[in-house]
Amino acid sequence: MDFDSPEVMKDFPGLYMSERRKGNDSDYNDESEKASKKDMIIGKRKEKKDKKDKDKGYAALEGESSDESSPCKAKKSKAFKFTKSKDKDKDKECPKDKGECSSKVRQKKKVKLGFGHMFNSDGENQDIAEALPIFGADLKDACQRGKCHDGVNIPLPVRECIDFIEIFGLNFENVYKVSGNKNKVNQIKKMYNNRQTVKLSDYDVPTVTSVLKTFLRDLPEPIFTNELLVRFEEAAAIFNYNTREKYLKGLLNGLSSENKELIMWLIMHFYNIVQRDQVNRMNKQNLAQALNHTLHISSKLLQALITHRMDFYPTMHIKKYYPPLDAGSTYPEDPNIIRRELEKLESALNLIHWEMQQGFSSKWRQDQLWEVQRVQTDLKRKLKKELSHSSQTVVPDETEEQPVSLPEAEEVKGECYKSEAGAAQVDVDTNGESEDEAPDENIHALSQPQNIQSDMDTDGDEEKTEADSQPSEKVLLLKSSADNISNNESKIKNTTESSSIAITFSNDLDKKQLEDIDYGPGRKPIELSTHHSVQDNSKLTILHYKNALLMDLVDNLSKSIQIEYDQIQEYKKKLDALPPSKGVKFIRLPHSFRHVRELLACENRILEIKKVELVREIMDLTEECMDMSTTLMAAADINESCMHMLKPNF
Amino acid sequence: MEKNMSKKPTVQPALHKVIMVGSGGVGKSALTLQFMYDEFVEDYEPTKADSYRKKILLDGEEVQIDILDTAGQEDYAAIRDNYFRSGEGFLCIFSITEDESFQATQEFREQILRVKNDENIPFLLVGNKSDLNEKRKVTFQEAQDRANKWGVPYVETSAKTRDHVDKVFYDLMREIRARKKDENKTSNGRGKDKNKKKKLKCTIL
Repeated sequence: MDFDSPEVMKDFPGLYMSERRKGNDSDYNDESEKASKKDMIIGKRKEKKDKKDKDKGYAALEGESSDESSPCKAKKSKAFKFTKSKDKDKDKECPKDKGECSSKVRQKKKVKLGFGHMFNSDGENQDIAEALPIFGADLKDACQRGKCHDGVNIPLPVRECIDFIEIFGLNFENVYKVSGNKNKVNQIKKMYNNRQTVKLSDYDVPTVTSVLKTFLRDLPEPIFTNELLVRFEEAAAIFNYNTREKYLKGLLNGLSSENKELIMWLIMHFYNIVQRDQVNRMNKQNLAQALNHTLHISSKLLQALITHRMDFYPTMHIKKYYPPLDAGSTYPEDPNIIRRELEKLESALNLIHWEMQQGFSSKWRQDQLWEVQRVQTDLKRKLKKELSHSSQTVVPDETEEQPVSLPEAEEVKGECYKSEAGAAQVDVDTNGESEDEAPDENIHALSQPQNIQSDMDTDGDEEKTEADSQPSEKVLLLKSSADNISNNESKIKNTTESSSIAITFSNDLDKKQLEDIDYGPGRKPIELSTHHSVQDNSKLTILHYKNALLMDLVDNLSKSIQIEYDQIQEYKKKLDALPPSKGVKFIRLPHSFRHVRELLACENRILEIKKVELVREIMDLTEECMDMSTTLMAAADINESCMHMLKPNF
Repeated sequence: MEKNMSKKPTVQPALHKVIMVGSGGVGKSALTLQFMYDEFVEDYEPTKADSYRKKILLDGEEVQIDILDTAGQEDYAAIRDNYFRSGEGFLCIFSITEDESFQATQEFREQILRVKNDENIPFLLVGNKSDLNEKRKVTFQEAQDRANKWGVPYVETSAKTRDHVDKVFYDLMREIRARKKDENKTSNGRGKDKNKKKKLKCTIL
C-alpha cells in the first residue's frame, strides 16, 4: 500500500514520530503545560479531599518541590535532575517491602543500628537507576528489570499504574486527558528505577496516568515497533470489520511477546475506561486523542484496537498484581495458593540474584535477599506441613492440583496462553496473507472456501436444490442462532447430508458449548473484581461478576450476529450474481430429483428444530456455567483478599 | 495490621547473620533444622537455599540470628557469591565420614575469603555426623590441624543427637558479636577501618 499519500499523513499524526521523537516530545510537553497548570491546581485540591492518610515523607518532599514546579520551567531534564539529588539519600535504604516503615528517618537509624559499616553501606544502589533503569529501557529489558512475579510479562510500573487506575480512575473525569504533577511523576519514576516500592495510593489519578504515559513515551521504540507500525496503521484503515480484525490480529502476532502482552493489557484497560465514558467522559475518540502521541499511533488505530479487543484475546483479562509475600504478611493456608506464592518468591529471588550479579549488591539488596529467602523457606515448611496434614485426612493427589477455589488465578491463566497459542497458529497464515494480498482480495478469500465446499459436497442438480432452499432458510437460521462462521459452515454441510450427520453436528455444537463455557469465566471480571474489598458482601461480588459475564455474553452474541449479517450480505451478492435462467431449468427436474429435494427439505426442517433446541440448550448451559463461575470467582477473590489482608497493596 | 508494622522497628535486637557452607549431604540443613526447631530429618533432600531467623538469648542479651543454609551442590555455585557477601559469620561443615567433604572445605574457605576479603571473618570448622564414629574417615587431629592453620576453632557435632549443635551456633555468634564491638571501637579510632577500606579498594580495582 502506498504510504506517502497525504491522506495517510493526515490520518496518522503520530505515524512518523518515532525517529524524531525527542524533539516532538518537548513540543508536546509544552502544549500540555498549559493544561497541566490548571490541572495541578485541581489535582491538589482533589488530593486534599481524597487523601486523608498522606504520607509524611512525601509531604516533606512536596514542600521542597513546590517552588520548582512552575510549569514553564519544568523541562524534562531539569525536573529529572532535581528529583535525582533529592532522592539520593532515600535510595540507599528505602525498603522494597511494604511491611516496613516508610519514614526515612527511621530507616536511617535502623541501618546505623545494625551493621552500617560492616559493608560498603554506600552500596551501588543509587546507580542501578542509571545503569539499569526501567523507564526508558528497551521493553524487553524493562520487563526483566521491573518484573511482575506472577508470570505476567509486563513491566511493574505499567502493571501497578493500570491496577490503580482500574480501581480509582475508571470514574475519574477526563482520566488520561488530565496530566499530573510533573515533580511527583518524576519522583515515582525515580522510585521505580531505584526498585523501591511505590505506594501509588499516595498519589492522585492524573499523576498515575502520567506515570504510565511517561513510561510508554520513554520507550526507545514505539510498542507497535518501527517495523510494523506502518502496517498497523494500514490495517486500521481497512473498512471491513472482519478483514480489519484479521489483519490487526496477524500483525499483533508478528510482534514479540513482550510487545503483544503489553498492548493487550493496555487495550483491555482502555476498553474498561471507555466503557465508563458516561462518567469519565472519555469515549473512544477522546481517549485515543489523549493517547495517540504517547503511543505514537493514530487515533484511528487505537480506536480500532479498542473496538476489536475481545476478538483478539477473548479470554484475556487484567489480573491485579499481588507482589510476593513479605515477612509482614500472613501466610496462606491453601497448599495451592502456597505453591503459587512460592513460584512468585522464586521469581523474586532470581531477580535479586540477577541484580546482584550485575554488580548491585548494596546492603539493602542483601537484606532483601535474606528476607525473601526466609519467607520462601517458611512457606516451604508450611506447605510440607499442610500436605502432610491433608495426607492424613484426604488423599493428596499431586496431579489434582487445580483447586476449585482458584479458577481465576491459574486455570484462566493457562487458558489465556492456550487461546493465545491457538490464535497464533491460526494467524501464521493470516499473516502471510496479509502481507501479500490487498484487503479487497481478502474479502473474497474469506468467503470463497465456503462456496467451493458446498459445491463439492453436492453435485449436479442437487446443487441447485441447495442453492434454492438454503438462502432464505439460512437468513432465519443465522439470525436466530448466534454462532460464528465456522459453525455456520458446518451447518451448510450438514443440511446437505444425511441425518446421521446431524448427530455429529450436535456433537460439534457440544464442543462449541464447552468452549464458550470455558471462556466464560475468564472474560472480564477484572473491572469489577478490583472494585470490591474484603468486607464486601459475597452476594454483591457474585452479582458483580455475573453482571460482567452477562455483559460479555451479550457483547459477543451481538458481535456474532453482526458477523452473520455480514455473511448474509455476501451471499445475497452472490445470489444476485447467479444467472436467473437456472431457476427455470430447475422446474424441469426429473421426479427422482424432486424426491431428493423433498427429502432434503424435510431433513432441513428437522435440523432446524434441532438447532432451536440446541440454541436453547447452549443458553441454559452458559447460564448455569456463569452461575458457577461467578461463585467460584467470588470465592477465589475472597481467598486472595484474605491472603493479602495484612498487606497494603495500594 | 498497622500495629504489626509499627512494632517491628521499635524493638531492634542485634542481628547476626550466619551462613552454612559445605559440600552436599554433610548435614548443613540437618544442623540448621536441629538448631531451629529441634527436629532431625532422616531423608535427604538437597537444598537450594533456605533462610531462617530465630530470637535467642546470648549471654543474657536478646539477639536475633539469621541463618542461611546454602546449597552444597556445585549447580548453585553461581549464586553462592551473592550469599557469601552478606554473611557475617560462617559455619564450614564437612562430614567426618567422608574425606572428600573435608577436602572441599579448603575451597569453601578460599571462596569466602575471596568474597569477604577479610582473614578474620568469624568462621568455625565443623565436623558433622560425630554419632557415626565407626565410619569415621577424617581424624579429629587432621581436622584440628587444618583449623589451627586457618586460625579458627574446630568442633565436632551430631545433628542427629544434637551434640554440640547449639555450641557451634552460639560460639559463632559470640565471635560475630565480638567482631562487631571491635569494629565499632576501631572505626571510632580509625585504625582498622582504614586498613579494611584499603583492602576493599584493592579488589574493586
